[in-house]
Amino acid sequence: MNAVIRTENLVKRFGHVTALDHLNLEVAQGETHGFLGPNGAGKSTTIRVLLGMLRSDEGRAELFGADPWKDAAELHRRLAYVPGDVALWPGLTGGETIDLLGRLRGGTDKGKRDELLERFDLDPRKKGRSYSKGNRQKVALVAAFAADVDLLLLDEPTSGLDPLMGAVFNECVKEAAAQGRTVLLSSHIMSEVEALCERVSIIRKGVIVETGSLAEMRHLSRSRLRATLKNPVRGLEDHEGVHDLAADGLDIDCTVDASALDDVLAQLAVAGVAGLTCEPPSLEQIFMRFYGDELAASGVHEGNGK
Amino acid sequence: MTTAAAEIEDGLGTLAGTGKILRFQLRRSRMFLFWWIAGIAGFTWMVVPVIADQYTTEAERVGFAATMSSPAMLSMSGPVEYVHAYAESVGALFSHRMILWTCAMTAVMFVLLVTRLTRADEETSRSEVIRSLPIGRRADLAAALLVSAGAAVVLGGLLALAATGLDGGDGTSPLLFGAVHTAVGLVFASLTAVAAQLSENASTATGYGLAALGASVLFAGAGNAEGNWATWLSPIGWSQLTFVYTPEQRWWPLLVSLLVAVAAVLVAFTLVAHRDFGQGMFAARRGRAEAKPGLKSAGALTFRLTRGLIWTGAITLLLLGMAYGSVLGGADDFADGLSQAQKEILDRGGATLQLSFATTFISINAIVAALFGVLVVGRGRKEETVGRGELIAAGPVSRLGWPGTYLPAALFTATVTNLLGGLGLAAVGAGGDGDLFGKILIGTLVQLPAIWVLVAFVFAAFAWLPRAGWLRWLAWTWTLLVVYFGTLLNLPEWAMAVSPFDHLGNYPAEDFSAAALVVLTVIAAALAAFGYAGLRRRNLSFN
Repeated sequence: MNAVIRTENLVKRFGHVTALDHLNLEVAQGETHGFLGPNGAGKSTTIRVLLGMLRSDEGRAELFGADPWKDAAELHRRLAYVPGDVALWPGLTGGETIDLLGRLRGGTDKGKRDELLERFDLDPRKKGRSYSKGNRQKVALVAAFAADVDLLLLDEPTSGLDPLMGAVFNECVKEAAAQGRTVLLSSHIMSEVEALCERVSIIRKGVIVETGSLAEMRHLSRSRLRATLKNPVRGLEDHEGVHDLAADGLDIDCTVDASALDDVLAQLAVAGVAGLTCEPPSLEQIFMRFYGDELAASGVHEGNGK
Repeated sequence: MTTAAAEIEDGLGTLAGTGKILRFQLRRSRMFLFWWIAGIAGFTWMVVPVIADQYTTEAERVGFAATMSSPAMLSMSGPVEYVHAYAESVGALFSHRMILWTCAMTAVMFVLLVTRLTRADEETSRSEVIRSLPIGRRADLAAALLVSAGAAVVLGGLLALAATGLDGGDGTSPLLFGAVHTAVGLVFASLTAVAAQLSENASTATGYGLAALGASVLFAGAGNAEGNWATWLSPIGWSQLTFVYTPEQRWWPLLVSLLVAVAAVLVAFTLVAHRDFGQGMFAARRGRAEAKPGLKSAGALTFRLTRGLIWTGAITLLLLGMAYGSVLGGADDFADGLSQAQKEILDRGGATLQLSFATTFISINAIVAALFGVLVVGRGRKEETVGRGELIAAGPVSRLGWPGTYLPAALFTATVTNLLGGLGLAAVGAGGDGDLFGKILIGTLVQLPAIWVLVAFVFAAFAWLPRAGWLRWLAWTWTLLVVYFGTLLNLPEWAMAVSPFDHLGNYPAEDFSAAALVVLTVIAAALAAFGYAGLRRRNLSFN
């Protein structure tokens, strides 16, 4: 596998705060990789180390097989970046900013630029200071998607965009992926990641706690199972693969480990099944599993909302 | 009619909640207020005994009066009426020498304070939250002006205390000395309040305020040099025209300050009620849909972003040079009126008065020009703190390109503005004397290595200690202090030697040292290289 991004035991400290604590991230060429985590987990810090803006304290970071700290300028020729909070020059118009960013990379394709302005419904003649947050974000997005690059680093790029523009963004990412570009999409909007990414890494307190394809993750996680039985079933609550069991007469509702599914289904079949639904977990549920203790600390119970 | 409607009808509604905002504004600007007030009052408090000790005898003061009564020195201090009172009053000498500068510092403080509390909050939408509360439309402006008025009174009080140790004048003189600064504070606070309504962004509002200050200093200087009406066009001039600590001391010029302040406040309140939130009186213009072909590198962007500053510097220095030049032309007429003894005091190694003055003006020009270079480096730091540089740093641009190009931009700005200052001085001051014209230009060129050292030092500080923005100001203020107050304050040798300008020699009054120029240029280059090395190894931290 040809990794475009690879970090090994990456550590970054700011004073006493350890922002990245032996972080291992790998993104293969051509994949659209979701980078999930709440605010402050270390997503932006990781991306800034990958951009060579921050110097790592320990470990290694590689971009296209090279060191982003040493070869930042050369590597940046092959990538485009959209920060989560785009700050624009108050006196430059959106159009000027897009052209400048394109020319730094050696020129923009005017046709593509104008097409993107149209699709994102952005007025290029307004000055940077008069754009709203969403429009500032669009300026950076148009500049990034218009660039002919191998890698897109998108750090919460849709914050501030309305749902219509969110849909345009999704299309653009899919087009980029179809052209063989690698995309690292940092986000905390699960539906966006679910729709766009085949592989996902979940970061927590500067560590990657889970990484893999969505299909694998679903497979490894518990599915929610609801059934209406013909006869009562016994011993289900003692089964070690069954969790959160709630029984109401012949109706049962529980979550089941993937490894225990066939066993549980066999038991149900013996009792007789009148109705059955079995849902794989959503990305949100997978994500929440890693943050269960934090949710509990803020008074939210993991079972809620399932 | 409901109460709310009644309040709106009688106009009080737009001021509702002023008291609450006032407390909030006081709290969030307490450090700003503390440091500025402590800085200005503390500086004055420290200088008072120094000057009092230095000019204890009447003979010393009379001798100093001879130096100070030339048009050149008057343009950089105050009206000649003070000089006439030197003999009997140390306070007059002190006020003459200091008021222009302490008033200018006071003006800067109030321009920054009012912009902070009004337009800066509105521009960043911070005050949007406040406006959504039951708070009147004029309340935040009213609160900002009340904070300013309070600060002006406190500053004036502390300055009055600081000045009590000065001999001369009558019992009310210290009070008037304080009031002179309170008046300047009030005028600039209210003028800035108007500026904050005109433009929709804070930096432009600050620019208007500082431009008003620049005009005040210029008019006061021109008026004082010639003893004419131009001083009356300047808010700082009104304060100087009180002739504090002289026998002619009077309070009434401060009435002019007060009237202007009140008028400006009324204008600001009218404007704030007649515009939409977040908008200025001047609507924002639409710009270009596409960038000009030249805007294609980090360096081009740096120059584009500092263009306004470069123009401001160029015009300021040209005007400053010309203003000094007009004074220089009259130097010899002035010399004819002096006694032989006075001429001897003014004698600088046998140079003519004209050359001595030219030397002083050239070095003041150079320090003001260096200020613009320092400001350009400050812009580079700001690109980082507000996060705009992130888009450039993520492009294929090395650290030398961004933020490295702020060094050439700063050097360019300081060099060009210095040359323009020299050109203005020579063109107006030489009066067709080709030899003097050439000497002034050479003198201006001689300043360049020192300017480069200061700018390169500030750049290296930005590269290695990005958070220590105060270091920039310390470095620049120190050079100003050495040039302007160095001999006056009897600063020790080493403290003067820290300033690169101290090693240039006093050309054209005396010779310059070519060796020093070479050494300074080498130091500037070394500092620049050191700065670039720092940029390569440090983190870029965007908000």
